[in-house]
Amino acid sequence: MDRRTFLKSGAAGGLLGLAGCLGSDDAGQQDTTEETAETATTEETTTEGTETTAEETDEETTEADEGLSGTLTVATYGSFVDAPSSAPGPWLKETFEERHPDVTVEWATPDNEMNYYIQRAQQGVDIDADLYVGINVDHLIRIDEQLGDGGLFASSVDALEHYDHVEDDLKFDPQQRAVPYDTGYISLVYDGTEVEDPETFDALTTDEYAGDLIVQNAQSAATGRAFLLWTIHNRGEENYLDYWEQLVDNDVRILGSWDDAYTAWDEGEAPMVVSYSTDQVYANREGADLDEHQVSFLDGQGYANPEGMARFADAPNPELAEAFMDFVLSAEAQGEIAMRNVQFPATDWAELSEEFEEYAKVPDDPVTFTYEELQGNVDEWVDTWARQIAGK
Amino acid sequence: MTRDGALALGEAVGERLERRALAVLGVATALVLAVLFYYPVLTVFADALRTGGEWTLGVVRAVFTDPFYFGVLAPLFEGDLAGVGEVAESTPLGLFGFTAYQAALSTVASVLLGLPGAYVLSRYEFPGRRTIRSLTIVPFVLPSIMVAIGFYAFFGTNGLFNDLLAVLGIGRVTVLGTLEAIVVAHAFYNAPLVARVTTAAWESVDARTVETARSLGANPYRAFVDVLAPQLLPAVLTGALLTFVFTFMSFPIVLALGGFELATVEVWIYALVQQLDYAEAATLAVVETAISLGLTYAYLRYEARQAGGRAANPPARKRLLPDDFSPFAALERAGVVAYALVVAVVFLGPLLSMVTESLTGPQGFTLRYYEFLVERQATGADFQTKPGVAVRNSLLFGAATLLVALPMGVTISVLTTRGRRGSKLADAAAMAPLAVSGVVVGLGMLRGLVFGVELWGHRIQVAGTSAIVAAHAVAAYPFVVRNVSPLLASVDRSMVESARALGATRVRALLDVELPLVASGVAAGAAFAFAISIGEFDSTVILATGSSSYTMPVAVERYIGNRTLGPATAMGTVLLAVTSLSFVVIDRLGGRWEA
Repeated sequence: MDRRTFLKSGAAGGLLGLAGCLGSDDAGQQDTTEETAETATTEETTTEGTETTAEETDEETTEADEGLSGTLTVATYGSFVDAPSSAPGPWLKETFEERHPDVTVEWATPDNEMNYYIQRAQQGVDIDADLYVGINVDHLIRIDEQLGDGGLFASSVDALEHYDHVEDDLKFDPQQRAVPYDTGYISLVYDGTEVEDPETFDALTTDEYAGDLIVQNAQSAATGRAFLLWTIHNRGEENYLDYWEQLVDNDVRILGSWDDAYTAWDEGEAPMVVSYSTDQVYANREGADLDEHQVSFLDGQGYANPEGMARFADAPNPELAEAFMDFVLSAEAQGEIAMRNVQFPATDWAELSEEFEEYAKVPDDPVTFTYEELQGNVDEWVDTWARQIAGK
Repeated sequence: MTRDGALALGEAVGERLERRALAVLGVATALVLAVLFYYPVLTVFADALRTGGEWTLGVVRAVFTDPFYFGVLAPLFEGDLAGVGEVAESTPLGLFGFTAYQAALSTVASVLLGLPGAYVLSRYEFPGRRTIRSLTIVPFVLPSIMVAIGFYAFFGTNGLFNDLLAVLGIGRVTVLGTLEAIVVAHAFYNAPLVARVTTAAWESVDARTVETARSLGANPYRAFVDVLAPQLLPAVLTGALLTFVFTFMSFPIVLALGGFELATVEVWIYALVQQLDYAEAATLAVVETAISLGLTYAYLRYEARQAGGRAANPPARKRLLPDDFSPFAALERAGVVAYALVVAVVFLGPLLSMVTESLTGPQGFTLRYYEFLVERQATGADFQTKPGVAVRNSLLFGAATLLVALPMGVTISVLTTRGRRGSKLADAAAMAPLAVSGVVVGLGMLRGLVFGVELWGHRIQVAGTSAIVAAHAVAAYPFVVRNVSPLLASVDRSMVESARALGATRVRALLDVELPLVASGVAAGAAFAFAISIGEFDSTVILATGSSSYTMPVAVERYIGNRTLGPATAMGTVLLAVTSLSFVVIDRLGGRWEA
């Protein structure tokens, strides 16, 4: 057993014991908690310090956290914490609580996801959460439209030690509120036993692929929206509607959600579906036939869809929120999130398994629209598209 | 006070309470409706007329004159007759026209598929009849994702149905992306509803009227058309109305099985709400609701005219194997067998396919999805969804909903069937929870009750278990009303009046005279109330936020994982098993009361 593991398990064990005794603490016993927190600080500093050294990040072992304590409420989408076998949430909570024994992580997973918090802010109701995990660029645009510029979230990047490790081209918020923690590349997944790789956007409109593609509704599904934006990126703002008319003429199927589409594809309704380029990671884990899970990067491209996290502007525990964000960006957490969420890490130092390295495919030419390019445009693009498709 | 005195006082108080009971129940019902339904929904509807803090008709006008929504009606609304031709070429139906069209097709399909079922269930005696009757309501509670999986697995390109067709040399059919898929899926949900409502009515017809007609020389066909059919028609139309309203507001099935090319108004409302575009969403929702309510009102007027005095006296049931083989009897049995085959294909096929999916992984048969459920129950964290808790909550909420919705429904039935002028309007208003979409109710609840309302500096919030039960009851009681009212209206009034003349209070007369006569309707309503509670999703998920009051359908949705529906289908199978069992139990208990 090496020193790091020993220290970690020893210290964590001792601290967990303490935390166990304090588990039922409520506001009335605040003082005791704080006292314990102070006693715990020394030990914890050692743990944290050793960890940092071991991971060869920087030599600043002196920078101890201030004995963080309290309840951290992390808002996110449901499948981040509760999806069977693939949710990173439980690991994040457990590991973070091990490192900060006086901290309890609570998840909030409102059904309306980000809209829930936008609506709360509109109604003047307290937010009651410290940070949100799972923001994308659409959310930011909607927030800024609905609540005025810079609403709801505040920037934390100055407080984040590990922010330098985040890949620059994934940073999607000009105001730096949202910090990327993973990314996916939208691509086609096709059954290689049924069809050849279409390779280009043009091929999708030919007879050879008539009725072969399932996509998602761009109004309601993130993948569907990403695919629509990808076609706009590829064909241009003037021509994308014509391209879609050709797709519809070629019998493309537009289903409601990614689940609907993937289920239909899985049941053999059509051989190609819009999904993520990490599809083989999961398929391999499940023991599925990889010939039936091939990834196609049309025109060598894939549409990047980074996910970010941000601290609520009036978070009850801003320091805790920032500590958690830094933890999410740590090399270990980055690897775990990538593998459990089946997405790529957003940093340059994630610890990834061989399996992931082998089966997660990266496009030669990742494309995406920036916040500025989308702002003021995306609603109209989606709306015009939707009216063309649904017009009777 | 002496013991006798106390007793007398108690009796007096009891009598007064009893006399006031209907009024008290009526007021309580109105209060629950106001707080849990009208207030939240009106908050959303107000958005249609209020943009940027000002009242305006701008959005409403824009929606009505948009051909995308109203097709050829749009230029007419604008008074632009010349524009009609142009619109007729590009978007003749508009979103509303198409939505009504698919709802009409779905309704016809549901009635055609449901009526023979009602006939078989009410006119034949065979082993397992009561169980099958109880199970007719099961499809109603299945989450749409389960139905979609079942449909793909069974009717899909590589499904069993297509394999059968191929073996028979008929050739394969495409399910995905067709209007037919939507219509069949809607029939899957709603034909059982039509069958159930009609069965309840068929079981309480007056057979003596048929006998009289026959003795006067009418052949069986004439006796059916002239005497029996008018007694059944209100129930059939109730089923048709409910089906139309539901399929008019359908959206998950449309998106999962049909595709976005076949988008309905509700699909659009959902998308607008997602984009927080309340003004346009609210306007569409108001129009949608007005159409549903208009239909309900028209139906209620019709129903009121049908009321005639009769007493329940159902004809004896036939045996499946006839005593003497006449050609007609043989033909009829052949029809029953053919119908049973259709039922097996349309209902059992998708259900069994869904169960099969839960037992199949990439490498064939597996029990690991059920192992997942067991493990999650045993070791799941607090913030994770446990199957056992979901089952317990569903059953508890279902039972509590029954207790609340039955009195609410019966009260409204009594108050409106014996009402005076305007009672049909009141009845339509009481039916409104049927006519408002789940998206709107959910949004209204979120903004009005979950976030809380500022009153005198305090924020009053309604959430948690009792709010969920109340919301379920609000959604469920219209079914009690629609099952009880037509029967109640046809109870011979003179019987009630005799009871009253003999000194019975109104409540006594209701309990002792009327309710036993409409018991089959009450039992049908009870099954629906329970089903609504078990299957309800929108308001449950909103009111259950941050608590452990999730139900089975909510658990199904939460178990949908990244690239795997295995655990979700396993939970769906649990839902199927638990609800099937509960409906059999409810019907048996209800049946004891009926007898």
